[in-house]
Amino acid sequence: MGQNKTSDKVILEIDNLAVSYGHVNALKDVSLTVNEGEIVVLIGANGAGKTSIMETVLGVNQVDSGTIKFQGKDITNKPADKIVRSGMFLVPEGRGVFSSMSVTDNLLLGAHHNLKGSKEKMDYVFSSFPILGERKDQVAGTLSGGERQMLAIARALMSSPKMILVDEPSIGLAPKIVNDIFEILVQLNSEGYSILLSEQNVYKALKCAHRGYVMETGKILLSGTSEELLNNSEIRKAYLGA
Amino acid sequence: MEIFIAQVINGLSLGSIYVLLVTGFNLLLLVAMIIHFSFPVVVVFSMYMAWIVLGLTGNNIFLGVAAGISSAILFNIITAPMFQHIMKKRGEVDINSTMVLSMGLGMIITDFLSHSINSGFPIAFPDNLTGRAAGPFIQFGLISMSRGAFLALTVGIVFVTGLFWLLYKTKQGRAFRAIAEDPNGAKLVGLPILKTGLQSYALTGFLGGSTAILMAILLGSASPGLGDQLGHKVLAVSIIAGLGNLKGGLIVGLSLGILEALVQGYWTGTWSNAIAFVIMLIAILVKPKGIFGMKL
Repeated sequence: MGQNKTSDKVILEIDNLAVSYGHVNALKDVSLTVNEGEIVVLIGANGAGKTSIMETVLGVNQVDSGTIKFQGKDITNKPADKIVRSGMFLVPEGRGVFSSMSVTDNLLLGAHHNLKGSKEKMDYVFSSFPILGERKDQVAGTLSGGERQMLAIARALMSSPKMILVDEPSIGLAPKIVNDIFEILVQLNSEGYSILLSEQNVYKALKCAHRGYVMETGKILLSGTSEELLNNSEIRKAYLGA
Repeated sequence: MEIFIAQVINGLSLGSIYVLLVTGFNLLLLVAMIIHFSFPVVVVFSMYMAWIVLGLTGNNIFLGVAAGISSAILFNIITAPMFQHIMKKRGEVDINSTMVLSMGLGMIITDFLSHSINSGFPIAFPDNLTGRAAGPFIQFGLISMSRGAFLALTVGIVFVTGLFWLLYKTKQGRAFRAIAEDPNGAKLVGLPILKTGLQSYALTGFLGGSTAILMAILLGSASPGLGDQLGHKVLAVSIIAGLGNLKGGLIVGLSLGILEALVQGYWTGTWSNAIAFVIMLIAILVKPKGIFGMKL
């Protein structure tokens, strides 16, 4: 996996980012880049700061210091709706679908900023995820965990993003479904979407990513290509149980 | 039987007013995330503004109606930044502080109405607006309907249908429902929370202003204390139906109107408020979370 050709063109560039919630420092001096066409994975335990990075990039958290650039433009402390409009979309941890709303409504929320062509986008999404097409009038609360994750990913596609942030997609899913979800991400990447992924399922995530960053208590400890990280003895010990 | 039908029809008209008020209150709760229990006071304020303009223009109905509707919209939009300031500062829904703010606004309005307009005496709307002089608008035997009752019912039906259409069939409505279900999740999918919130202030302002005109036609008069009285009822209806439950508010609002009309028809008008509240007390004791469940 992960054979998609990547370019050297940087799509997301984070420099010396610091974020705090009240007196708690959530992120300290975080720098990372994602190139166009890459899958980059953030690895780390609960509370390491993976979700904080994703939400900060999306404009939900206040940045204390540092800069975030997306497609060459400074987006630091820009409001989330502007950032989404500019071509970034988050697939939140725990899917974040609206359970009282229909599958169709959930998808259309993804296209809220540009409903033009949403009919075609919906057809495309239903051809990629036929199960969602079958359930399009059901409320999202009736879907299984895997189907919700697909819905959250499909909703991201409805926004025609350049880059998708995917926060812990494997959480709470059966191993077989986890494989399906990772396959979908690799497939999307081969269609040209750049992906920033966060995962605790380190082996599978590194298998499908190009590069990775290892996080601990709000800092980046290590970074490298997936191969380097898979062969790193500390990572093998800490995360792969070998 | 005819009395019964007549009173049910009257009750439905009064109930439509309650439904419009409760729906505005619930929308603000769901989308703007505030408990604005002085919303009915704003509506009564708009009645007074319509009355003033009617007086100044020699009872020009068009200008009076425009004044009533626009003052509610303006009041809502002008006060919105205060409510939104609290929400932005806390970074989350802060129902308690918004409640105090709403209470304060309601007190200021009620005080203003009771000191500065018509020396605090009740105001009466002119006959060419209420249609009182023209007699009943529709008459079948004992069953008759005044123009106000007819308008309240039809406009109520049209507005509530329109509102549900807006909520379930339009892009804005979809954003409203998403924010109502999960404000945080709505932020994460890039919905403009504050802008959409502001739209809900404008929409409820329009609903409230229109309700003010209907009340002027249906009741024919208003007094400074009317807003507080309605505020209590609307809060009670909303809680009994289930806070934020729009369909529940529709049913309970109409039922309250019918109940009051039946009490007035068969027993005594002066006790209809107390009896309505006794029944509401029982309902809340039996179902503390509301008959139809909270939607928050």
